[in-house]
Amino acid sequence: MEIQSNDERDFKQVYEQVFPILMRVVYHVTNNQDLAEEICQEAFIRFFDKGMSFATLDDAKYWLIRVSKNLAINQVKRKAREMNMVDKLKKYPTNHANNNDGSQVLIEKETRKLVQEAIDQLPQKFRLVIVMKEYTDMDYKQIAQVLHISESNVKVRVYRARKMLESILGQE
Amino acid sequence: MCVDDELLNTYLDDELQQPWKTQVQEHLGYCNACRQRLEQLRVLHQKVQDSVISDEEIKMHQDRVFAYFEKTRFPSANKKQHIFRKKIQVRLVPALITSAAAFVVVFIGAFVLFGTSVQQGQEILPGISAPIDSMHIRQVTDVQKPSLDMFSLEQIVQHLDALGYAVKLEVKAVTPLQ
Repeated sequence: MEIQSNDERDFKQVYEQVFPILMRVVYHVTNNQDLAEEICQEAFIRFFDKGMSFATLDDAKYWLIRVSKNLAINQVKRKAREMNMVDKLKKYPTNHANNNDGSQVLIEKETRKLVQEAIDQLPQKFRLVIVMKEYTDMDYKQIAQVLHISESNVKVRVYRARKMLESILGQE
Repeated sequence: MCVDDELLNTYLDDELQQPWKTQVQEHLGYCNACRQRLEQLRVLHQKVQDSVISDEEIKMHQDRVFAYFEKTRFPSANKKQHIFRKKIQVRLVPALITSAAAFVVVFIGAFVLFGTSVQQGQEILPGISAPIDSMHIRQVTDVQKPSLDMFSLEQIVQHLDALGYAVKLEVKAVTPLQ
């Protein structure tokens, strides 16, 4: 089934299926929902405006992930300084205000935040691979295809990323 | 010899090929330490996966970005909406006219049937109840629009002369008087 990126029906089909995956990858790489939305929008704008054709839906998906991943990396570099400032402001009160409230929701929220912050601390090449592994249904082979690296490279990065996450989360 | 972390991670992700997969499985069957280590890795993996951005949050962003595309890239969808709106308007207008006409008919009909006598009319609407005939109709104004017919040729020429036009009169055809 061929996909024409500027055909309305094809576009909507790809959008419906790929947007959630894209948003998951970009959000967990950037740790900023609004930024992630902007990046996903930009990726789909390029997808539509270039009027490309893809052999399969998966090819379109890989293209979109590749583009948004690059956009995300650029944005993270550019906005690193201001985001750090915002993060510090966000972190400060919550780190001091937890623990007293024992509600499950808060604990879950807190865990979510801790995990995301741990992912945030990973070097970029490990962060990308682990985010794709944990938050999309792609296997090693597909991740290798998207990132243009070898399968064994993906395997090593997944292992090393988990090792780092374990040590970061273990310290908390 | 025990299984290292890298292999365990690959096994956890179900990416380990045969025959290593079976070998690891066999080893896990009798090695408590490796089983525990695998469990630790599984817990970590689960914890990370559970921290995924929620579907509701994604949906919100998805709808917002989609609205952008509807507006900027699929104008045909908007046009369809306009046509639909027009159809509603077109259907609505005759209905309104019909009901207004029906109302007028009922109103006039009521007067024709019940309200034609002068006396009754005076009782109901004293202000406008006088019967209409030539006695009661007066011409209010007799102002006429000025037209060229109201002026003689001489007056017209004089007027144009005063305005500064050079007027040249020519007789094009003359019919003899009989």
